[in-house]
Amino acid sequence: MENKPGALARVVGLFHQRGYNIDSLHVDPIEDFEPFRFIEDELGIKFQVGEVSRLTIRTTVGDRLMRQILRQINKLIEVIAVSDEESTYLKGILRNENLL
Amino acid sequence: MKIAGNDILIQSLINEGVEYIFGYPGGAALHIYDAIFNQKEMQHILVRHEQGATHAADGYARATGKPGVVLVTSGPGATNAITGIATAFMDSIPMIVISGQVQSHLIGTDAFQETDMIGVSRPIVKHSFTVDKQENIAQIVAEAFHIATSGRQGPVLIDIPKDLTNPDDLFDFEYPKSVHIRSYNPPVRPENHQVSRAVDAMIASERPVIYAGGGTISSNASEELRELNKILDFPVTNTLMGLGVFPGTDKRFLGMLGMHGTYQANMAMHNADLIIALGARFDDRITNAPDKFAPRAKVIHFDVDHSSVSKIIEADIAVFGQIKDSLQVINNHLKTRKEEIDHEKLIPWHEQINEWRNKHGLNHDLYKNEDDDSPILPQAAVQHIYQESKGKAFVTSDVGQHQMFAAQYYHFDEPRKWINSGGLGTMGFGLPSAMGVKLAYPDEEVICITGEGSIQMCIQELSTCSQYKLPVKIFNINNMALGMVKQWQDMNYDGRHSSISYEDSLPDFVGLVESYGHVGIKITKNSELKDGIAKALSLKDKLVFVDIYVDPEEHVYPMQVANGSLKDLWLGKGEKT
Repeated sequence: MENKPGALARVVGLFHQRGYNIDSLHVDPIEDFEPFRFIEDELGIKFQVGEVSRLTIRTTVGDRLMRQILRQINKLIEVIAVSDEESTYLKGILRNENLL
Repeated sequence: MKIAGNDILIQSLINEGVEYIFGYPGGAALHIYDAIFNQKEMQHILVRHEQGATHAADGYARATGKPGVVLVTSGPGATNAITGIATAFMDSIPMIVISGQVQSHLIGTDAFQETDMIGVSRPIVKHSFTVDKQENIAQIVAEAFHIATSGRQGPVLIDIPKDLTNPDDLFDFEYPKSVHIRSYNPPVRPENHQVSRAVDAMIASERPVIYAGGGTISSNASEELRELNKILDFPVTNTLMGLGVFPGTDKRFLGMLGMHGTYQANMAMHNADLIIALGARFDDRITNAPDKFAPRAKVIHFDVDHSSVSKIIEADIAVFGQIKDSLQVINNHLKTRKEEIDHEKLIPWHEQINEWRNKHGLNHDLYKNEDDDSPILPQAAVQHIYQESKGKAFVTSDVGQHQMFAAQYYHFDEPRKWINSGGLGTMGFGLPSAMGVKLAYPDEEVICITGEGSIQMCIQELSTCSQYKLPVKIFNINNMALGMVKQWQDMNYDGRHSSISYEDSLPDFVGLVESYGHVGIKITKNSELKDGIAKALSLKDKLVFVDIYVDPEEHVYPMQVANGSLKDLWLGKGEKT
């Protein structure tokens, strides 16, 4: 997600608003962009150091609720991409989800 | 040219084509108000309470499709706007709310009129911005408008500390020509594989229903829906938010569905083999118990919002994109496969629906009763309003029984004519939203159908109507109690009427509105209804408040039986399907 004031609060707040639980949470700015090149390629953008953060949240839910959580997070304006072990959502682009 | 932050903000709004800004001044917004004073392109409407400002902007947005703009000060000004922002959020209405904030160096010190408005509003806005420096104001405004009006629309908040609107600090101003936000890219056109699967299912169906909601209106897809119906000849139902997107008087229209939907609409959904959901989100006032919902139906869900699809009811086919664009693509596909479309095959389904309609459909002729021995039925009052306004008016409503009667008995043939708080169910919405509609369409008839409970929640706006000469027509369906709550107490609490009555302390509404310079008419008999309503509508330049005393014992039917399926309905007192 964009490293902007308030962005983290939006993600955390969403979990509470929608009644999902957070087991653990970790956030830091991304320094090594190598694993994220595919996002840059797909969206046609270029990340600069300090601009984006990676947020890792552990939560225990079933598949259907997990899909709903990913979609809700993906909707937040400052989130660039969100994924779990199976699916990746980029803004406007959906990868790998066994969609309907 | 260099200008100050307050002027940058106002010039940015003017660049966005804003005609009206609804607001209320206060300390943290004073620099902004000074900039409003110094320009002529945009008119500020001074309301009497910030909730009124948000609902007025909301009504303007629903009627025009353009975003409504609100300006409030920090602290109580901002928190008073919360209910209106939440109302717009729940119904996906584009709105820009600008809230003044205490000076930057005071933030976090519990300064006078300081509230963390970004924090307070976070769950009820599509997005929010804190202005960090004057150089960014124009870009933030442009992004706010872009976000509010694209994708699934919604309210966007801009919180601006007072020092950043200081008239003494000057900056270059250039308004962005276009906006691109790299982390925001809502779908517009659907993908091909989604479209062909949807078309296959439509052609194969024998018992289809089109279920169109508010997203069809916000996407301006009414024409495309009518064309789709022309091609397929499918029955159509609308949600409370979708009324008007398909003609209410069309023979294929089933009426509203859901909690207080018609028998034929709910039965058609329950028995369908295909449900085509257009910009509708299967909320609990539609589905009743989700596990019993439409057991034999395949679902095609058209939506611009990924997270709406398969949230409540699993979709078999999802079509992501703006409804308008998606339907254009679908219609073109269908036209290339014309020879496969078989209208004959649908005849038994249409006959079945007509049978349901004849058996338990709504009675639309109640208004013909002029018997003064029986009390006025609220349904008949709405039918008279429909007849006298020739079905052409913009109708706003509040929340409760009168809202459901208006939705059931006023037939809307055009989108954006029915303006009501569907998702949040906000009492107090009707009058201020009517002001916003009237400002947008001064030559059109604008009617507010309200109740004596709801109207008192924003009744202070009668004063705003007087100041700006807004001749809306208010029909107060007066049953002297909180009717919908009373109905639930009748049905679920053995008639224990807890805190729903204020009969002895209601104001003399006629005297009250006259004190603001408006006209009041009181109606207590069936024989007075037609002429009283006609007279109100004939007074073109006056706000007229028609206080209609109706049968306090009346309930809204049909009504879904709690935790049942769509075919489980109360049809009258003690009468179930």
